[in-house]
Amino acid sequence: MATVFPSLRQQDPRNFQLLYLGLFLSYGIAFLGWHRDWFQTLVLWCSCLGTQYLFCRLYGKSLDALKSAMITALGLTLLLRAGSPWVYAGAGSLAIASKFLIRFRGKHLFNPANLALVVWVLLLKQAWVSPGQWGSSAILIYFIGAAGMMVLFRSSRVDTAFSFLGVLFVLEATRNCLYLGWPADYLFHRFSNGSLLLFSFFMITDPMTTPDRRAARMLWAALTALITFLLGNFMYLQNAPVPALFIMSLCTPLFDSLWKAERFQWLPRKTSNYQTI
Amino acid sequence: MNILKKLLLPVVLTCLSAVETQAFCGFYVAKAGASLYNEKSEVIMVRDGQRTVITMSNDFKGAATDFAMVVPVPHVLKEQDIRVVDRGLFDRFDAYSSPRLVEYFDPAPCGYREVSVVTKRMMRSANESTDDVREQLSEVDYGVHIEASYTVGEYDILILSAEESNGLKTWLIKNGYKIPESANEVLQPYINSGMKFFVVKVNLEAAAQTGYQYLRPIQISMNTDKFMLPIRLGMANSKGEQDLIIYAITRGGAVETTNYRNLRMVTGRTVPTFVKTHFDRFYTDLFARQHGNEGRNAVFTEYAWDVTPNWGIKCDPCVGNPPQYNDLISAGVDWLDMSNPQGGNGAFFTRMHVRYGRAQFPQDLMFNTTSNRESYQARYIINWPAGGDMSCPEARKYLSGLPNRRRMELMELGALTGWDISLYKQYEQDGMDPGIREGEQKGMLPIRYNKRNDPPAGGQGPVWFLLAGILATGLLLALPVLKRAHP
Repeated sequence: MATVFPSLRQQDPRNFQLLYLGLFLSYGIAFLGWHRDWFQTLVLWCSCLGTQYLFCRLYGKSLDALKSAMITALGLTLLLRAGSPWVYAGAGSLAIASKFLIRFRGKHLFNPANLALVVWVLLLKQAWVSPGQWGSSAILIYFIGAAGMMVLFRSSRVDTAFSFLGVLFVLEATRNCLYLGWPADYLFHRFSNGSLLLFSFFMITDPMTTPDRRAARMLWAALTALITFLLGNFMYLQNAPVPALFIMSLCTPLFDSLWKAERFQWLPRKTSNYQTI
Repeated sequence: MNILKKLLLPVVLTCLSAVETQAFCGFYVAKAGASLYNEKSEVIMVRDGQRTVITMSNDFKGAATDFAMVVPVPHVLKEQDIRVVDRGLFDRFDAYSSPRLVEYFDPAPCGYREVSVVTKRMMRSANESTDDVREQLSEVDYGVHIEASYTVGEYDILILSAEESNGLKTWLIKNGYKIPESANEVLQPYINSGMKFFVVKVNLEAAAQTGYQYLRPIQISMNTDKFMLPIRLGMANSKGEQDLIIYAITRGGAVETTNYRNLRMVTGRTVPTFVKTHFDRFYTDLFARQHGNEGRNAVFTEYAWDVTPNWGIKCDPCVGNPPQYNDLISAGVDWLDMSNPQGGNGAFFTRMHVRYGRAQFPQDLMFNTTSNRESYQARYIINWPAGGDMSCPEARKYLSGLPNRRRMELMELGALTGWDISLYKQYEQDGMDPGIREGEQKGMLPIRYNKRNDPPAGGQGPVWFLLAGILATGLLLALPVLKRAHP
């Protein structure tokens, strides 16, 4: 087994992400009563993959990056809700195009799905997110599954997720239980939210938009948690992690210039001689 | 600590403008030990930007002298922020948006096509009571401050602030209120959040002058970032679960809960014709079963429709008149521009139904206004079999298909309500009997009795699905690697 674990890490972590997000989605549709319009979902996927394809051709990049576009599409299918197919088309194209157009020192600045959520949900208010859609009974399974798989397959970014969740938990517990005096189940209910876990394990851990150095990354995640806490508890923003990540993404280049480290590659360097997007 | 609190309080207050829509959510506080359960309540919430108007109605059963209500509010309300409105507003909103039964008549296979639609809605029983007594408040210093005191309509209203829950509790007890022991658990967090308490009692003299035989709903307006309804206080003196119906009106679109699963009630199902005479029970059992199936902690949307005056169809079919301009105004909708009904001035109506208990609802209800303007209604269908001439060949085909269709209707009924459908076996064949068929059409329904199963305890879908999926995912990804490791 000892040889298995290290070699598992050589797997492209995106395979795991795709399968796991797909599992989330089918569980929600089958058992949690989620409504996803097939046409709108198709529009979203076409816009994500189409945009990725066009830009890959334009920039002469490998089509391997279509896998990343699929992850973005899956993430948006899980989180983004809108009434019009145009919104889905716009969100998908914007998310992917931002990876090519908004870049700084060779890294794209924003997590694509996060940027789409900020623009369409917070700024344009044409779409919404339903953080309550996950229910709370299976939450432990979501958590253990996502965390366990991450540790198994990709230890390099799980530090970000745990740093974020840990700091957020301490802040929320201090305010809600110690200061305000709510009972413990109040606090657990705040965390029994699939969107938060999805965010923690699949969005904030995006290696392309987080600082490269581990210590910097953990500090960065802790600051994201602090902003999330402030926005959620004092400004009552729904989905506070989304704007928090957006704000911190702007700071990533600063973290990278202060703490330098090797740039992340989706595939081990020996097998990949191109830069994936 | 006190200094810290004083420093923090303005900040907390500013931010904390919780909308505490306290649904009435407040708790009724019984004096003289009357036994009170606020098992069902209704709230109208109007939200536009930060402005929130909450109208609270109740089915308080008891002497008006015993009536009292405590609702946490984000800031000290001014007198003009408090109104009483006519109870009819709730009746009209309820009649308009209740789950409905629609009936259709099969076209005669050998003759002309007759289509008729009749609708029936869930009936609601409402009753109120009157009478009351004015309470003398003693001077106190339990860390409780009377921030404001008004008489509005038949109510005496105090806005209290408190420093800690024991003081508030003792003060309320000293003033003749019976406070449930468990109220402490929730009072303290509200106090720490800097919230004020909106305390209501009936003013007997004023009540006599109004001439109403019931207590009218109270409406409060506030500005707050937080779009929520504090239900936790209401759990303090209630045994078991209680029902809350929320009518939300916004400019943008449907309202949904963000910290609990918000589902649309199952709709569009065809059920046996005899449901017509048992529709109230049918829906009550359907709700109980869905509530159980979804883990007892979901919020159900029962109706969602654009109700902008002067625009479009507002129901299909209608079981009550759509809210009129005046109704919307009384509910607190102040953005309508009648000269320009489409210019971003729409009003969207959402009806939500939540059955909540302490164990499954640790948090107050938080809401979000979505941009979803899709119409939705909880609607159930019955199809009456055709009558008249059955001599043509089409009729034979029609009749032979009837038992099967009715079997499906029965199965649907069983699945929806948990009723024991073996008791209705005869229903399948009844469609073949011209006498019964005609009788049914004329409204002479066969006499039936129901046996109701207990609603299932319920979870949220088999957790095994997730477990198996995770295992399979792991194996799938590990296999190629394992192969490589041990060729």
